Amino acid sequence: MTDRADPSARAAAPAPEDRAGRLPGGLRRAASWHVLAPPLVFFAILLVVSVANPAYLGPFGVSIATASAAPILLVALGQAMVLNIGSIDLSNAAIALFGTILFALTIPATGLAAIVIVLAVVTLIGAFNGAVLAYTQVPSFALTLGTFGILQTASLVLSGSETIYVSENRELVTALYATRAFGIPLTFWIGVAAAIAYWTMLRFTVAGQNMTAVGKNESGAIFSAVPIRRVKIAVFALSGFTSGLAVLAIVAQAGSASASGLGSALLLPGIAAALVGGTSISGGQANPINVIFGALTVAFVPIAAQALGFGAQAQSLVYGFFIIVVVTLTTTRARGIVIK
Amino acid sequence: MADAAQSGGGGTRAAGPRTAPRHGGAPFARLFGATTGPVGLISALVVLILVFSVLNPRFASVENLQNVLFQVSVPLILVVGATLVIQMGSIDLSVEGIMGAAGMAWILLSPNTRLAIDLGVWAWAVGLGVGLGLGLLTGLIYAKLKVPSFVVSLGTWYVGLGIAILLYGNSSLPSLTSDALERWPTALTLGLPNSFWLAVAVLAAGVLISNHTRFGRGLMAIGNNEPIARGSGMPVDLYKVAAFAIAGLLCGLAGILATMQLGSGSTDIGFGQLFIVIPAAVIGGTALSGGEGGMMRSTLGVFLLIILNNGLVLAGVDPDYQSGVFGLLLLVAIIAVAWPGRDRLKVAK
Repeated sequence: MTDRADPSARAAAPAPEDRAGRLPGGLRRAASWHVLAPPLVFFAILLVVSVANPAYLGPFGVSIATASAAPILLVALGQAMVLNIGSIDLSNAAIALFGTILFALTIPATGLAAIVIVLAVVTLIGAFNGAVLAYTQVPSFALTLGTFGILQTASLVLSGSETIYVSENRELVTALYATRAFGIPLTFWIGVAAAIAYWTMLRFTVAGQNMTAVGKNESGAIFSAVPIRRVKIAVFALSGFTSGLAVLAIVAQAGSASASGLGSALLLPGIAAALVGGTSISGGQANPINVIFGALTVAFVPIAAQALGFGAQAQSLVYGFFIIVVVTLTTTRARGIVIK
Repeated sequence: MADAAQSGGGGTRAAGPRTAPRHGGAPFARLFGATTGPVGLISALVVLILVFSVLNPRFASVENLQNVLFQVSVPLILVVGATLVIQMGSIDLSVEGIMGAAGMAWILLSPNTRLAIDLGVWAWAVGLGVGLGLGLLTGLIYAKLKVPSFVVSLGTWYVGLGIAILLYGNSSLPSLTSDALERWPTALTLGLPNSFWLAVAVLAAGVLISNHTRFGRGLMAIGNNEPIARGSGMPVDLYKVAAFAIAGLLCGLAGILATMQLGSGSTDIGFGQLFIVIPAAVIGGTALSGGEGGMMRSTLGVFLLIILNNGLVLAGVDPDYQSGVFGLLLLVAIIAVAWPGRDRLKVAK
């Protein structure tokens, strides 16, 4: 990471050139740990739980774990894309919540068109975040904290602080949850499909490489004529769009929407899932495929804690220590890097 | 927080108002940038107070003023610690969790309806100790294990909340039985509530530490450019741990005060405080990237948000709108502060 940051130094001195020749091996080793850690952590927990309490591991257990992981996965994917450019989106869970209410209100009258409407609206909200960030250059943390507050109020006002039950056209959306493939609800498969699409984009397209470039070294990206404004708007729009997919997962599961219902507490699990999935909070490193394991782990920790005999009351405590330990094990510590 | 990666090497910062003089209109931008914080904030406060006084005569009454000061005290104590942490470019999300843990520990050891123990002063020591311990934990993991403070404090948020939930257990709600303790926060000394005096004492100590000690200036230097601070022999790791320890201690104190104000223990005693404290610091002009801002500016930010909240309630606005108004205000404030410093080469995370 730091070796790439300064191309002029590499050109000037022959020694770093020599080192750069040997780097790929070192980079590969570092990368492999980041790639392997998230699935390893998940399967380790799975193993511990299956030894301690086999009852949790049947097809029923898988179905429950993936169902509760689906909204977390979708929110975490959007978050991972934003973290990848070195920013953060604190508003994405609030976008999802606002989306659920909009969706529940529009689906009785418009049917399937409601999906298009909601996805368009949430993508625009995300793009708005990105545009403000790109053109006013405010810190994304404060900016999205602001939109978070506005969306919270918008959700309360739009829903009239009440729970909206989807009655007409209900089966259109609940089918996403009720339909299973390999015992896993479709909502989770949507997340998997999105993860593969995002991974492909980051890996093989210029747009994706531009995003990672902005995260690794924004000044470098500016000097290399990366269209950073477009990149930022696109990434935040993508985060909004992915929150829109989370809307489908939430409403499909709950059959209703409210400002305090399912989906109101997705922000922190979403960030945790992205981080446990090996996404670097300082940018330039994200692997959407691993975010799947991050989301599964985050959704599974409460189940695991229960299976291992910790009471429901100890869950927060276990969760807190777990996040710290996992990120401590997987975080990047390149020499000379400033950790904030 | 997140702009760590590339400022690493030689601290090549293409950002911040300090580079402003390089392009046109710079002196104005600089002047504006330097004065926009306090002057803008104070005039905004004055306008708010005038508008609310016209809307509802009760707003300007002595009782309401005392009420506002009562409400200001908890976030004011929190913002002192948060400002220390944000000044060095880190962030402390653990506020609400630590408040819950410390408040719950304190009330269970003070005269309450559940347990018959009264440790008096030692209850304070334990409550503050819980806060200090969690703050130390955050600081040590952050500084020594080099884990981003955002993640560590997210973890300690849950850990603190977990401790509070475990202490709360399954039994009944613990309420204060001591009249003296329950009345203390609202009781008036020299016309102002005691809890406000406590907050003022904390603020005074905070200003003293921040502006007049090697440690306080050191935090600012770390936020400005950590490699240079380290290179000039500053004990950077020690300062980082100390800043989080102080922030934790103050969260503990705020948790105890909030518990006393409520009169009973609650695991989510700190609910919503993070959404007041961070916007207050940011509106006051404390940049999240570190190296800027100050205690008094953050204090103005807290007053602005609490007065706004109080005034809106008195003006008959639905409380549902509160977070929306806070959010909108935060947006306007950060854009106003960032506008003069815009630059094609600026790195905005």
